[in-house]
Amino acid sequence: MWINMGPQHPMTHGLWNLRVRIEGEIIEEVDPEMGYLHRGIEKISEDRHYNEVITLMDRTCYVAGLAWEHLYIIAAEQALHLEPPERAQYIRTLSDELQRIASHLMWYAAFVQDIGLMTPFLYAMRDRDLVLDLFQSYTGARMTYEYNRVGGVRNDLPTGFTDRTRKVMDWIYARFVDYDHLCLDSDIFHRRCDGIGVLSARDCVDWGVTGPMLRSAGVRRDLRKDRPYAAYDRVEFDVAVADGADVTARYLVRMEEMRQAVRIVRQTLDWLDKNPGPVLADRLPRWLGAPYAPVGREGYLLKRNFPTGRGFSSVEEPHGEAQAYVVNTGGEHPYRVKFRSPVFANIAAAQKYLPGYRVADIPPIMGSVDICVGEVDR
Amino acid sequence: MQPDVLRERLGPILGPRLLAVEPFAGTAGRVRFAREGALELFRAVRDTLGYRHLAMVGAIDWVDHREVFYVAWSDEERDYLFLSTDLPASDAHVESATPVWPAANWHEREAFEMVDVRFDHHPDLRHLLTPDEYAFHPLLRSFKLHEPEELEVKTRNV
Repeated sequence: MWINMGPQHPMTHGLWNLRVRIEGEIIEEVDPEMGYLHRGIEKISEDRHYNEVITLMDRTCYVAGLAWEHLYIIAAEQALHLEPPERAQYIRTLSDELQRIASHLMWYAAFVQDIGLMTPFLYAMRDRDLVLDLFQSYTGARMTYEYNRVGGVRNDLPTGFTDRTRKVMDWIYARFVDYDHLCLDSDIFHRRCDGIGVLSARDCVDWGVTGPMLRSAGVRRDLRKDRPYAAYDRVEFDVAVADGADVTARYLVRMEEMRQAVRIVRQTLDWLDKNPGPVLADRLPRWLGAPYAPVGREGYLLKRNFPTGRGFSSVEEPHGEAQAYVVNTGGEHPYRVKFRSPVFANIAAAQKYLPGYRVADIPPIMGSVDICVGEVDR
Repeated sequence: MQPDVLRERLGPILGPRLLAVEPFAGTAGRVRFAREGALELFRAVRDTLGYRHLAMVGAIDWVDHREVFYVAWSDEERDYLFLSTDLPASDAHVESATPVWPAANWHEREAFEMVDVRFDHHPDLRHLLTPDEYAFHPLLRSFKLHEPEELEVKTRNV
């Protein structure tokens, strides 16, 4: 019998449909149906300036906007042959890690609710708001930031930001102990999560599964270490790895990642305190700041003189490894932009890690994937 | 792995179907191949060179032809490798990479619906993001969102 879980179902955390073929309580086959949130971001990008695409990036993954901006901006800068100042690199690293904490807290809140624990949900949402307050203080927004620019970031950090952030980090770091107590000491948690949704390291690699799901299978792979970008080669942190490859292991990896994120944030704050400087490259082409596409003589010169190029970037965003490929054939719009979302691959592998378990196991398993439908459908 | 090393190791396997190996966008390089050698190249890249993880498959419409590109990652090299092949727009099809990399499944479905490239021997070549009966291929250049000239005039008069 085929049943539809979605498009409106508490398990989906977004808008998609998981079609499941069951035999009694046992899952035989799954067929995820995506596309309910498809907005054609890759197509719209072809008609926009390089800086206007950043707006779309915030909407690609609405819980990890700054990480997706960062992904696109690296590829765009490479395609346009621009180099951001070092301070902007550190601010981006800081933003990425704050975003990782915010995104993982959002995951934690949604995930514990899936398995029937209500209290941790309130804890996590409350602490996530503290991080969103920080975002608001330097980007002006809590969700759709539009903070990165081709060649740097829009503005410097406000006065007193580093001290405020240190206080928030101290508070959140202490709260991680509570989070672990609420989950790992709970009998419900272990009964629902231990030993289900197992995806071996070999299957993870074959199916392109990345991020916390891959590291929970014992594979020590993290693009921040393996192929460092921004300032990640200048900060110290450990790669969070767990064994077991089940839902509990993914929980442990994400919790450890948040601790490591706090560690990275503290190091970047120390550096930012000591090293003032510009945050935007000063030799930007004029049209990059223009409100509309240059036309007439300026547009003609631009089309004739601007160098062409290709940009490829790869970023460890909170859900896993995301890639962007930007093709610049000269002119004000990218010719083609292609994004690869980690959740896309993680859901595609559902036909490997769901069959054999029971229908009641679906919410914890899919919860542990950390689904963001916005970036799957784009 | 440097482009000349790639050429040395892939050349004997592919012969004339290996068109070029060039440095590319901060990655290990880009291997351009003729589509007849697709499956052999995928196997060689995965098993001989060790690029076990397929990151993405995508397609670009260059109006006169279409390009399909593959991005693979190697844990040993810690780098990405681009593979790319050009297909004529009138007859755009290439062998599916799913027997070698199962991860290619959804990426190829997306390229099929968006850029109208067919993947031979794909296990399940349906639309992924658009409805099954959707008759357009949105990422083709001939699919226009609006007339840019009209929009520009409007915004400047405001």
